[in-house]
Amino acid sequence: MPKPQSPQELLPLTPPVFHILLALADEERHGYGIMQDVARQTNDALQLGPGTLYGCLKRMLAAGLVEESEERPDPALDDERRRYYRMTALGKRVVRAEAERLAGAVSAAKTKLAGGNA
Amino acid sequence: MTTPSGSIGIFCRIYSVLLYAYPRDFRVQYGNDMRQLFRDRCRDLARVPGTTPMLRFAARLATDWLVTTVRERAAAIWSAGRNLTPRSFVTEWAVTLAIYLFATTTLVQAYVVPTGSMEGTIRVGDHMLVDRLTFAEPGLVGRHILPYREPQRGDIVVFLYPEDIRQTYVKRVIGLPGDRIRLENQQVIRNGSRLVEPYTRHIATYPDPYRDNFPVAPEASTTPRGLDMFEHHVRNGEVIVPPDTLFVLGDNRENSEDSRYWGFVPRSYVIGKPVFVYWSYDAPTSDLQEWTLNHALDVVLHFFSRTRWDRTLSVPR
Repeated sequence: MPKPQSPQELLPLTPPVFHILLALADEERHGYGIMQDVARQTNDALQLGPGTLYGCLKRMLAAGLVEESEERPDPALDDERRRYYRMTALGKRVVRAEAERLAGAVSAAKTKLAGGNA
Repeated sequence: MTTPSGSIGIFCRIYSVLLYAYPRDFRVQYGNDMRQLFRDRCRDLARVPGTTPMLRFAARLATDWLVTTVRERAAAIWSAGRNLTPRSFVTEWAVTLAIYLFATTTLVQAYVVPTGSMEGTIRVGDHMLVDRLTFAEPGLVGRHILPYREPQRGDIVVFLYPEDIRQTYVKRVIGLPGDRIRLENQQVIRNGSRLVEPYTRHIATYPDPYRDNFPVAPEASTTPRGLDMFEHHVRNGEVIVPPDTLFVLGDNRENSEDSRYWGFVPRSYVIGKPVFVYWSYDAPTSDLQEWTLNHALDVVLHFFSRTRWDRTLSVPR
């Protein structure tokens, strides 16, 4: 039940939500795939535990940021069926908006720190 | 170490039990996926050499579990709103509390090593987590879901000191029920063959015929249980380990009060096996047995210099 929302209302995203969306930006993934990709994106700084990951996914599903794709096995792992997730159009808009917000924050930080003669 | 695939199965079963701390709806919807993810991660970690990544993962998982079980419970209550009867509210939290208690009392226990009898393998001041599950006596319910095994020769075990069960000791299992044990010039001879024991440490002390050639005859330091061992369980110059007991020795062989002096450890006195050292602090024996103001002050002042950082997260074996 995705509620019609403007992306701005959902910002700022928590780091796990932001990185999960990024992980789904290029392809659909299952839970473990998301966890591995988030670790790669952040140089292992953010290692999602199962509770955090599925808790976030549950809320993101409810907010309409992601949706479940069909269940299928991952040929690289084994033949067990896994639930795959993909990003929705709203999810894409939200992650873009968040990335812009963060870019703004980074440039603000740069100006301040350069002015402060770090 | 056990085989990776074997221990992964064990970890998965433990994790399955821990999943019960999540609210029912969440568990039904994601429990399977979480278990799957947990297993995938374990498999990947099993390919990496060394135990440190595994322990890091375990520590992170514990935090994740503690935080998210509470968060999901709170969310479940929030979304149930007024439909929730007080009764279901109580049952829901009772289950979570039961799982927390299970995790902290059944699975692990913290233990400090106060003496140097295992020096060489375990040091005075090692604070470690003890796995209470593996050697737990198979109960009625737990037997089918939880991984048990019997202590084996060479295992390090933590147990209640038979002469005074208020004390907890750590030693290595040398003899299982039915084994014939004797010591000849500090060397253990079990069932007729000399043991190769790379983990032992032999310090140069004056010779002690009782300690180095065992069992000959009781001496003054033999306790009542030790005397009982001499009286009933010695045949042809060998100790024969009776049923449901263990014969244990310290690795610091010449400086250890063990089964030679106080007899066998009843199987039911075994608490568990050390998993890893979470903190190792250089302090005298007396300070480690009881927290005193002096010891607390000592820790505050010397935490960084007296902590043996290289032992942190090490696995005694």
